[in-house]
Amino acid sequence: MGNLETITQKIREKAKSLLESGQAEVVIGYRAGTIPLVAAPFFARSAADCDQLVWSSFARLNLANYLPNRTEKVALVAKGCDARSAVGQVVENQFPKENLYLLGVPCSGLVDPAQVAAKEPRPIQRATESDDAITISGQGFSVDIKKAEVLRRNCRTCAHRTPTVANELTGPEAPAAKPDDFEDLKTLLAKTPAERLNHFKDLIKDCLRCYACRNACPLCYCPVCFVDETRPQWLGKSTDPMDTMTFHLLRGLHCAGRCTACGACETACPVNIKVREFNRVLDKTVQENWAYEPGLAWEQKPPLTVFQPNDPADFIK
Amino acid sequence: MSSVNNPYMPYPVRIANIVVDSPDKSLRTFKFEFLDPEDEKRFEYLPGQFAELSIPGEGEIPIGIASSPTEKGYVLFTVNRVGQVSSFLHNMKIGDIMGVRGPLGHPYPVHSLKGQNIVVIASGFAVTTLRATVAWLLHPDNRPNYGRITFVYGARSPGHLLFREDWEAWQKRDDIDVYVAIYKMVPGWTGKVGFVPAVLQEICPPAENTAAIICGPPIAIKTTQPVLFEAGYKPENIIMSLENRMKCGLGICGRCNVGPEYVCKDGPVFTLAQLNELPPEY
Amino acid sequence: MPEYLVKESSLASFFQALTQGRRLLAPQGQGDNCHLEVSTGPVSLDYANTHLSPKAVFFPQTEKLLAFHKLADKPKPHQYQDLGDKAEPTVIFGIRPCDAKGLSISNKVFQNDRFTDPYWKGKYEKTLKIGLACLSPSPQCFCAAMGGSPFGEVGLDVLAYPKDKGLGLRTLSPAGEELIESTSAEKADLASEIQDLAKKAIEAQGPLDAYQAIDASKLMDLYQAKHWANTAEPCLGCGVCTFFCPTCHCFDLQDEANDLGGVRMRNWDTCMSQLFTAHGSGHNPRPSKVERVRQRFMHKLKYIPIKQDGVRGCTGCGRCVVMCPANIDIRSVAATMAQASA
Repeated sequence: MGNLETITQKIREKAKSLLESGQAEVVIGYRAGTIPLVAAPFFARSAADCDQLVWSSFARLNLANYLPNRTEKVALVAKGCDARSAVGQVVENQFPKENLYLLGVPCSGLVDPAQVAAKEPRPIQRATESDDAITISGQGFSVDIKKAEVLRRNCRTCAHRTPTVANELTGPEAPAAKPDDFEDLKTLLAKTPAERLNHFKDLIKDCLRCYACRNACPLCYCPVCFVDETRPQWLGKSTDPMDTMTFHLLRGLHCAGRCTACGACETACPVNIKVREFNRVLDKTVQENWAYEPGLAWEQKPPLTVFQPNDPADFIK
Repeated sequence: MSSVNNPYMPYPVRIANIVVDSPDKSLRTFKFEFLDPEDEKRFEYLPGQFAELSIPGEGEIPIGIASSPTEKGYVLFTVNRVGQVSSFLHNMKIGDIMGVRGPLGHPYPVHSLKGQNIVVIASGFAVTTLRATVAWLLHPDNRPNYGRITFVYGARSPGHLLFREDWEAWQKRDDIDVYVAIYKMVPGWTGKVGFVPAVLQEICPPAENTAAIICGPPIAIKTTQPVLFEAGYKPENIIMSLENRMKCGLGICGRCNVGPEYVCKDGPVFTLAQLNELPPEY
Repeated sequence: MPEYLVKESSLASFFQALTQGRRLLAPQGQGDNCHLEVSTGPVSLDYANTHLSPKAVFFPQTEKLLAFHKLADKPKPHQYQDLGDKAEPTVIFGIRPCDAKGLSISNKVFQNDRFTDPYWKGKYEKTLKIGLACLSPSPQCFCAAMGGSPFGEVGLDVLAYPKDKGLGLRTLSPAGEELIESTSAEKADLASEIQDLAKKAIEAQGPLDAYQAIDASKLMDLYQAKHWANTAEPCLGCGVCTFFCPTCHCFDLQDEANDLGGVRMRNWDTCMSQLFTAHGSGHNPRPSKVERVRQRFMHKLKYIPIKQDGVRGCTGCGRCVVMCPANIDIRSVAATMAQASA
């Protein structure tokens, strides 16, 4: 039995016992998707439900997103980034710690369908996976692709694949990754501010302002988002490029120092915008200035939400 | 393209008068005159219809028409200050230019009610389209076509009662029974005291050959229905007007639907019998 | 209506004739990068479908409807003027039958029993629509299950299909007939071939009309069924489904102004948004995502059929199936609705 099947078995067993013992009223995990290369969020409340739970490298959403406003006791199937986001929800008072059971999944990185499509443009009818490779098939073809070749960009630089804070792990720790050196930002940060602005303008040129990035994000739990506010109305509702840019910049800033690089925003984006680039520059800034990474411990607060006398910024003193 | 062909084009109007209607100044009644007299002819309406009050640069709000088409030369709208557009409108002055787009929606079925008795039941500032209805019914051209007419109207305090001149005049007539109530007694008040359902229970006309037209906040509508049922009214003969969030008013933009029906285009007037078959999304 | 043949050798002149006095829009690119773009032809037929539906041609995401000025020394200050529909004579080549049917459904909303939306009407009626039939539908396609066909003719002026590196054509309206007569296409008898190809393409899609129980069910039974809370639970409320849907047509009217004047515009809106139905008072008839998700599926599968002679508001294009980040699959939801009401 491969590692993925072992994790799936472990999730199902544990989910059943957590529900049975009353430690959890719902287990939030994944079921197999109805289309290839997709795993769907799933809410298990019975033993029969638990048999639908799976682990796969298609589990690209961040399930911590389903925690806020939930009154039930939750067991969350959480890969490294989801677990960190769940901790963030607790730290930011969006979910009570006593209602949360983190069923941690050591993650070996998730598959990016866009990269799969780039390698195999023919319509895919079926996708299966082993620990190292996916097999995709369609009319008259079947192709194996190594997962390492089609991992999401955020998974390639992820330094916390195994949840650092979890009630229990569903498998052996994933091989340790090297610390993120933000190598991919080098070109961008070498540009002049004007060039950078152009880069970001180009990045969001296809944005539909559907806000799927925001809605998929576990950090975006505001009851009314600033883009939807009407009194006062902070920005226009059309596809005007200035309004669109304002949305992305402000959302990026709201997430600064809180993003766990889960990539749910890019998964949700229907027009393939690399939304995370906004956050990634800010992640780097926060790490460099405050040596802080979110969601690694229950006690740590995001640096931009607290004041400390040893704050490196001059203006605040 | 003229507004005849473009239902998004408001008719330009001038604010001819503004009356502050409630002690907290949250209600104002606006009297508009059409800049082009031809537009008044095009704006052909019946009681129960509404229009979008259209302020360039601010937006639109759907408001029931408080005047009756039998009143010539102007249209009346009572506006509650709740949102961005209504707040802006409350700060506008006599003489300012803005727009009125409509008429929209279906009226109360006054034509098909000919030969019947009508009881008109109003709570709070929802009285507006019912004030229009009574004014229309009492017009000499229309009054002979209807049986007994009863008007029941309640509001929080005497200061919250709108259109005082109208109902005081109606009280002096012998072809309409008028019952105006406030919810809690205050010194000097000589009329009825109590919530609308209680007043109605006391004076409810027999159900036979009678239609009830109700308008008010959801709680008033809900509590009035049992009184009517008890008196023998059938859902087919209980006529109501719904409010939902609207934008286009044309049955296109999608937000006001109650099941397959658009409140703006297919309503806002529905019988209780119709609503009983629809999702309660209002 | 008659059929025509365009040989491979006359494709260039065929497309050239289409562009006479009109702009030609055709799908260009592949996969997520396939979009309707201005073309001079010949058009590559090697695409599944456009990433976004073609509705934006008729109903742009942002469209300015009216404009006004505040200048006291100029005529008619503070009075809105119509900006017109800005339609230009257009022919779309390669619209898929699911999308053409979707547009015809929206057409009945924009031109309903009481009002005509002039901005939609101008563009819809100045655009000739040449469909491209689907010989081998994509894995996510289910037009036949929704009562359509890969060779569907609804909402089209002409239906085309790839034939011997050229095109087979069937004209479906007088305007389509006139258009094809103006090209080098030659008359041909293709009726039986079209029938055979359509049959094969439908069979390739799997079970037909699995959802008939929904049509037979009472509205309130479907509405009150117990599954909606579960169905809606994974929903993120993003509205990607509505942005990509060829029949979703909801919009918001917005004014934007400065010291000199301003415009009234409409922008795509979505019933998945909490604010879509929120009253000024704070009351909301669809307060949670359970009501909002139910609204979307009831609208597609019950409300539109009630208003449009049984035609469903889903045409089976499969975009929402692929695009929904939470994998809420309308095929599964429809099956659940059918089952719950059976």
